[in-house]
Amino acid sequence: MLASLVFYTFGFILILSSLFVITARNPVHSVLFLILGFFNAAGLFVLLGAEFLAFILAIVYVGAVAVLFLFVVMMLDISFADLRKDAMQYVPVGLLVGGVLLIELTMVFMSWQASPELAQNIAHPIDAAAQANNTKALGLILYTDYLLIFQMSGMVLLVAMIGAIVLTLRGRSGVRRQDVSKQVSIKRADVVEVQKVTSGTGI
Amino acid sequence: MVELWTTYGMEFVFIIAHIMAIIVPLLVSVAYLTYAERKIMGAMQMRQGPMTVGPFGLLQPLADGIKLFSKEIIIPSSAHRVVFVMAPMLTFFLSLIAWAVIPVNKDWALANINVGILYLFAISSLGVYGVLMAGWASNSKYAFLGGLRSAAQMVSYEVSMGLVIVTVLLCVGSLNLQDIVLVERTWWMKALLFPMFIIFLVSILAETNRAPFDLPEGESELSGGFLVEYSAMTFALFFLGEYANMILMAAMAVILFLGGWLPPFGLSGAWIDWVPGVVWFGLKTFGILFFYVWVRATMPRYRYDQLMRLGWKIFLPFTLIWVLVIAGCLLAFGALPS
Amino acid sequence: MIQSVDVFQDIKTAMPEVATAAFALWLLVFSAFKKHQAFAVASFLSCAFLVGIIVVCFGMFGQYDEPVVAFGGLYIQDYFSLSIKMLIALGTLISLIYVYFDMKQTQIGRFEAPVLMILSMLGMFFMVSAHDLLTLYVGLELQSLALYILASFNRHSYKAPEAGMKYFILGAIASGMLLFGMSFVYGFAGHTGFGVLEEVLNGTTYNVGLTVGLAFMLVGLAFKISAVPFHMWTPDVYQGAPASVTAFFAIVPKIAAICLIMRLLNGPFGGLQDQWVQIVYALSMASMVLGAFAGLVQTSIKRLLAYSSIGNIGYALMGIVAGGADGGASVVVYMTVYMIMTAGTFGVVLSLRKGGVAVEEIADFKGLSKTSPFHAYAMTLFMFSLSGIPPLAGFFGKLVVFKAAVDSGYIVLAVIGVLTSVVAAYYYLRIIKTMFFDEEDAGMDEIQIVPYAAQHGTLVATLAVVVGFCVVPAVLIEYAEVLVRSLF
Repeated sequence: MLASLVFYTFGFILILSSLFVITARNPVHSVLFLILGFFNAAGLFVLLGAEFLAFILAIVYVGAVAVLFLFVVMMLDISFADLRKDAMQYVPVGLLVGGVLLIELTMVFMSWQASPELAQNIAHPIDAAAQANNTKALGLILYTDYLLIFQMSGMVLLVAMIGAIVLTLRGRSGVRRQDVSKQVSIKRADVVEVQKVTSGTGI
Repeated sequence: MVELWTTYGMEFVFIIAHIMAIIVPLLVSVAYLTYAERKIMGAMQMRQGPMTVGPFGLLQPLADGIKLFSKEIIIPSSAHRVVFVMAPMLTFFLSLIAWAVIPVNKDWALANINVGILYLFAISSLGVYGVLMAGWASNSKYAFLGGLRSAAQMVSYEVSMGLVIVTVLLCVGSLNLQDIVLVERTWWMKALLFPMFIIFLVSILAETNRAPFDLPEGESELSGGFLVEYSAMTFALFFLGEYANMILMAAMAVILFLGGWLPPFGLSGAWIDWVPGVVWFGLKTFGILFFYVWVRATMPRYRYDQLMRLGWKIFLPFTLIWVLVIAGCLLAFGALPS
Repeated sequence: MIQSVDVFQDIKTAMPEVATAAFALWLLVFSAFKKHQAFAVASFLSCAFLVGIIVVCFGMFGQYDEPVVAFGGLYIQDYFSLSIKMLIALGTLISLIYVYFDMKQTQIGRFEAPVLMILSMLGMFFMVSAHDLLTLYVGLELQSLALYILASFNRHSYKAPEAGMKYFILGAIASGMLLFGMSFVYGFAGHTGFGVLEEVLNGTTYNVGLTVGLAFMLVGLAFKISAVPFHMWTPDVYQGAPASVTAFFAIVPKIAAICLIMRLLNGPFGGLQDQWVQIVYALSMASMVLGAFAGLVQTSIKRLLAYSSIGNIGYALMGIVAGGADGGASVVVYMTVYMIMTAGTFGVVLSLRKGGVAVEEIADFKGLSKTSPFHAYAMTLFMFSLSGIPPLAGFFGKLVVFKAAVDSGYIVLAVIGVLTSVVAAYYYLRIIKTMFFDEEDAGMDEIQIVPYAAQHGTLVATLAVVVGFCVVPAVLIEYAEVLVRSLF
């Protein structure tokens, strides 16, 4: 009873905020609604008993990814409303495609039939003993059965990192950089010179 | 309806009472933290600090509070009103809800959840939104720059903070805050975790925008940064939120590194056992808070590039290597928690 | 099928991938700390490594008579995957030589380019060895992500970032489609492993959800191989990216993707052949027709080659439609021949520089027979081969595909294939006409020939294969049939 109430609350806010993400006039508001959406998705994970995923979602998406989104969007001087004006002419086509897809998918789900082996296959990777604590269960599967995928994902992220650096880093000339070791290693003799100045002559 | 009341009603009242029992002392602590800060800073700078309102100025925080709450709230005409007002509320709200999982004594937490440390980390990583939203919604150059600085700074230091937490978790083998306090650590674990403690202390300074990392506010360059347009109640909420966050971070450090509510240095004895755990917890937290104030009184503000350099080029590689070192030691000594 | 037992055996089984990953990581760090000539050194080391990988794959050949499944069913190593990996490594090697000399001339070379190419190759390796939908997806992402970056590698040009952006957005949509389709399949079977899927799907009768899932997956994959109607990004990306990177796009990823599709459709989805044949049939026909007709009006050589590659994908898909060991073998032969021909064509294009950059326009080829007869004749041979004129390699490629299609009863498709290759022959021959019979423009002096021996060596080698293929076609085709046996 309470659980379903909470579920519908989260679900409703999630859908509503997703809707606002695409309709909000101001891009910053869009991002803020996106964050609200992430939150409610995390809430749904908690309801499922997947608290680890919920908090990782909050930490990674809300705490890091969306911050960078907001960071960039705040600095953009683009009127998204103007951009959207041109996009309005594609709305009929988009609605048509979306509508057709919606009808098709509805039909698919109406006649949905799963394989008889489904239940047995889904249960496969999860060790029953580890189910008590889903952090532990995830760790056990991730680093054993799915080790290869885990490592490959690491490579994907590495590529993204290389890409970000390659596409943006440029050696700028005329920038004065602080070199701490150089600063610290300077000796008195390198910079101070004591000269005897005889009066009336100057150096 | 009656059924609903009997099933959930009592529990609801109980939870509300529980929440009040956390929030009221917290808010009092916040008020007196500002007083303590002014007194300690005064002492360090050969001044007396607040002296006139009440004996030893003890009622000063109260007077400040009344002043702030009774002033007029000014919302700049070009500000984005909703976001502008929401920002301080969010900051304050986040600084309060984090306390739901902090165990100030054994089994003294509103919710003893499995992934408590992740919850804390998630909440603390959200703190940036309050500042960012305030900076953007104020529609002012100074506020905006402050917001941007804060976003970059908090995200940068979160990375090394996360890795520091990972090293502790490696030794403890649980994400539950009570377990983190209770699990025994060997002497070499303590030795290995000590540098992480130092990094954590510095990182929480940056995470809470405190001196010497208070660039987002930077009153000498940004005239208050993201706070510049805020006044009265909205300002007070920011202020309360920030100080509550300071206490929260200090509590986090106590739980992760200083043994929570347990007596310090493994002391035991009749007198020691008689002292309730919450007192030890409070004392340890105050120790860290004193460090905060001490740093503020002694250190000059960092330059922005120095701040970034420290976060990305020193803390991040060091903590990354340290995660490997600790994991390696645990593996080598066979001390991996099961 | 052998199951590998522990992680050390897993690593041994996946030696090419493990070595590639380790090398890429090492090369990245090594080059980052190298102050001078990092690009040249990284390129040279990568070339040496690629030769090494080919040798490793060749050396592993004997141990994989029976396919070996490793990493708990995520990964499979067999004759097919090993030989395709050799092909991919060879293609990457050729592209890397092109990329090095091209970027050296245009001065956009940075050591990340070879690193990204190696990482992209790693993704392709995983694609051809995928034995789970997850491996397939992550491999595909790894491959594509590196390609997006390479497409916009030239930051000084305004076209390159546009190309990268278009590629990225459409690639992301394609990945979304693929994942959406996979979710249907998972929802039906409850598993993502190819082995389990094959068992589950073989026994099922017609199921709407499953077919929709399959269709979405094919749409996603069709984006990646730029089959019509999911080809729109190809000409723009080919045109915008640096010419040598375009060569890489055209030569290598398509092989991996086509082989992936072959394994996917014949393995886990083998039981649904009736359903996917229709989709692939339509993709094949549309690609051949559009590739032939849209190429007619192009003036840019890179766009022309883009449409040529779209058409060629159509022929390869025809082999998949034909099905069975014959069809599979014809696809392998066709893709091999396609790789060599395209590599050669790009070799010629990249040898001709105008203001330091590779020639862009077909008009730039005017009078090439007089200024550089060698390149003109080489180009002629490649164009003849691409249009399928005997006795060059392209002819045999098309022959096996058509034969497989006719044998399986897809006569209409084969006839369309013949007709479209006649149409396509027009634009290939038009280039020959431009080189030999058009008068030189005043500006033709600007065309310079690159002085690098290694690049010309590659060109000569591909030329030798294209011409010499007719000596041993039967042996190679039989060999291809042995390779694909593990798929069926």
